[in-house]
Order: sequence, then structure tokens, then C-alpha cells
Amino acid sequence: MSAPLQVYEPFRAGLPPLRKYWRSLWSRRTFIAEYSRSELREQHFDSIFGQLWLILNPLLLSGVYFLLIVIIGGSGGALRYGHLTASLFLFYLISNSLSGGVKSVTAGQRLILNTAFPRMMLPVSATVIAFFKFIPTLLVFMIMRTVLGLPFGWEMLWSIPIILIALIFALGVAILISTINVYFRDIASFLPYLIRTLLYLSPILYEASALKPELRILEHINPLFALLDSWSKAIVHAQTPELSSMLAASGWAVGVLLIGTYFFLSREREFAVRL
Amino acid sequence: MSSLSASNTQHKTGDLAVSVQNLGLTYTTAIDRRPTLKARVKSLGRGTKQTRIVQALDDVNLDVTYGQVLGVIGTNGAGKSSLMRTIAGIIPPTQGRIEVFGKVSTLLALGVGFNPAMSGRANVQLGGLAAGMTRKEIEEHFDEIHEFSELGDAIDAPMRTYSSGMYARLAFSVAATVQPDILIVDEALSTGDAHFKEKSFNKIKELRSEDRALILVSHAMATLREICNDVAWLHKGKLVSRGNPDQVIDAYQDFLHLGKSSVIDEDL
Repeated sequence: MSAPLQVYEPFRAGLPPLRKYWRSLWSRRTFIAEYSRSELREQHFDSIFGQLWLILNPLLLSGVYFLLIVIIGGSGGALRYGHLTASLFLFYLISNSLSGGVKSVTAGQRLILNTAFPRMMLPVSATVIAFFKFIPTLLVFMIMRTVLGLPFGWEMLWSIPIILIALIFALGVAILISTINVYFRDIASFLPYLIRTLLYLSPILYEASALKPELRILEHINPLFALLDSWSKAIVHAQTPELSSMLAASGWAVGVLLIGTYFFLSREREFAVRL
Repeated sequence: MSSLSASNTQHKTGDLAVSVQNLGLTYTTAIDRRPTLKARVKSLGRGTKQTRIVQALDDVNLDVTYGQVLGVIGTNGAGKSSLMRTIAGIIPPTQGRIEVFGKVSTLLALGVGFNPAMSGRANVQLGGLAAGMTRKEIEEHFDEIHEFSELGDAIDAPMRTYSSGMYARLAFSVAATVQPDILIVDEALSTGDAHFKEKSFNKIKELRSEDRALILVSHAMATLREICNDVAWLHKGKLVSRGNPDQVIDAYQDFLHLGKSSVIDEDL
């Protein structure tokens, strides 16, 4: 008698066998790729105008916000505009991952009730989609910063590890919020407010250095603060970001990912009965 | 996690396919269909319970061997679908243990499909990939699935435009064409029109083989009498009896005080 291929046993609150889980997740990477592709196709991003919209949308937004800054703050300038646009683009990577991830599990209901698979594929796909949407905006920014005459330098390469940190953070929040949405379906309706609040609390419409001393606390309580500050330093100003900021950003990202993953994995096997 | 492409071993008649040992399953389900934070906050301090506990399966022992075609019968809420889901690894058991010796393909009540906004083709591919098949395996079977489902051009239309019959046809075609070691079919035999019903009935007959185990959940007693060589009767989460199809089904029908009325016997 050969050994059983699968054994299903009760679980206590806690994690499934991790190594087996990762292997199972990794073996389904084609699903993640295929799902992201069909989702993008669904949103018409395979057409020329769809891709154009992908670029136009954040550009228009940055234009609107720039108008706001100029009118309220009374100052413009190339550096200011560059900072705003670049920060907004990275912010959109995270907010797209959040808004795509929130319903990823609940929308996969049919599949979850009919097939056994590592459920984490669903929020992971949401982050992959957000990343695909981010890539063209990055190219647009590189062209824009040339036109604006922003400084170039090797320090800009710091943006690569920063994007990685942003992706880890984006994945963490997608996983976390998709779990929460299983238990509280109205989280999706609160999300736009949450995203809007995060946007204003982050150094996007203003530069981190321009913050009033009494608001300095934001640097510590906003998980995106250090990340966006480092990002702007590297890609807009072509300067080396501060080590402390990079460490803080990484700490937030890894922390959110660990918490989200733990939360997700320990609840995942219950999803089928909760949906 | 089950993986459709995990086994290449040959199975012999009499080898164990599925072993269910002392299986118990208790759900804690939300009472609200859509649990919300708002509802939770509103009920704070009022002490209303948001969840209900359901004992779906209670100490079920069931071995299925290769070559067996097991029919599972029981009234609504007997735990049939729960049993199928635990065997498929979709819901973890609360007690006991399930061993599965082979690759499982499932055709459960909801059918195939992932996102109704996507085409039938995309759904088949995504469903297969999620189940652990490779892209190549899916492509190999795709034409067969497409042909069997008789969907024609509709395969590229979004699934929300499908009729429930088309839905069921596609679902059945997917589950039946992947050549699994263990096929679990839950109430899907009586969907579709008469033509497709007969076609799927014949397909199930064709799938009966020495090296495969079939588990069929159905209310169509005539079908089960004809196809199965073993029947298990579940009632309120417990296994009532198991054995010869005619004996178990007769006992079940006596229990229902229905006799062999044509309404329940005709189903196919």
C-alpha cells in the first residue's frame, strides 16, 4: 500500500505546514500569472487606449493635485511637480494593491468552494496586477523627469530596493485586508476613505522636510512615510536616502507582511465556510 | 493541497482510494449572509450571537476502494456535500482523519467557474491552474472539454451570459475529461436538458473502471441503482447504512415513507 497522497486532519488555530504550503503556492505561479493577465484583459488594459488610460489617469491626478498645491501653497516648480508625480505613482502601487486585494478572496468564492488550493494566490494576484499597472507609470516618470530637467545620478538606483520594499508592503496589506473582508464585508466601502486619509498623511502633496514640528509624529505612525520620503529622495532628487528611513520602511513592510500572512494562513481554512 | 498532476501510479481494484476515519465536522457559520462591521458594532453590548454552530458530520467512517462506484444518498442537510468537500480538501475536518490515495477531481454543487465576468475559456483555464494542473495539461484537454460541453462559440462569451444549463454542461465537461483517479460528483447529474443528461450519464458509465473510484451524490435513485455498486446513506451527519445499492436505497425510500413512487424514481 502506497502512502496517502493527501491527509486531511483537524487543525487547531495556527499555521498549516508552511513548507508544504509554499511549495504548493509556488507550483501554482502560472495561475497567478494567468489570473493577473485575464484580470487586466478584463479591465481592457490589453488595448492601446486601456494602457493609455493607465498612464493618463495618474498623470491627470498629479496635474489636479499640482493645481491644488500651486493655488493653496502658492509655489510650483519642477522639483515640486516631480516629487508629487513620483510619490503619487508609488502610492498608487500600494493603493491599487489594497483596493484589488480587498475583494480578492470574497470574489473567488466559487473557486474556493469547489477547489482545494492555497488561497493566498488570490491576494498575491492582486498585488501582481497592481505592479503591472505601476510599470508604465514608472516609464512615464522617467521621461517626465528628463523633460523637467531633474538631476540624474547613480543614487537613483536606490529606487530599486525601495520598489521592492513597496511591493512587500503592498502584498502585506493586500493579504491582510482580504482576510478582514471575509469577516467584515463592508471594509471595502471604508477603503476609499482609508486610502484618501493615507494619501494626505503621506509626504506626497508636501515634502517630508516641510512638515511642521508638531506634526513630526506622522513620520512614526504613518507606515508609508519613510518609504515615500526615501523614494522621493532617490528618484526625484537623486540623493541617497537616509539609512534610518530605509530601515523604518523595511520594518513596516516586513511587519505588515508577517502579520497579514499569519492572519491569513491561520484563518484560511475557515474561508470556505465563511463565504 | 490537492494537486491533479501529482500522481502517476497505477491503481488496482480493491486498493484503498479514500479512507475516512471518525470524521466529525462542525461549522461555525455567520448568521448574517453578509457579515459587516456595521452590524457587529450595532449589536455590541446587546449580546446577540453572530454565529450558529452546525454539526454537519458526526463520526463518519467510510472507505472507498478503486473500482468502486459509491452513491451517497440522504435528505437535504444530511451532510452529503460537507462530506464531499472534506474529502476534496476544501474544508478541513474538525475531528478524525481523511486519507486520499490519488488525484481527485471534483464537480460540486456550484460547478466550475471563477469569475462570471470572464469567458468560459478563461474560467476553465483558471480553475484548472488553481487545481494544480499545468497549462499544458489544460490545453491538451481543452478541445475535448469544449466539444463535450457543446457550447460552441459561447465558450468565449462571459460566463454571466450563460444559462444555468450551459453552466452545468461546462462544469460537468471539465470534471469528466480530466481523467482523475477519484471523481467526486455532487448533484450534477440531473442538470441540463434530456439530451445532455443522457450524455453525462453515459460518460459516468464510461468512467467506471477498475482503476478509478467514483463518488456520486444524487437524489436520482434510479440512476444510482443503475450505476453504483455500493451506496452509503447519510442522515443528520451520521452514516446510517452502507452496502448493496438496492437494499440501501429500498431502506432509504421506506424511511422516507415514499415507496417507489415514480416522482423520485424517474429522475433519469
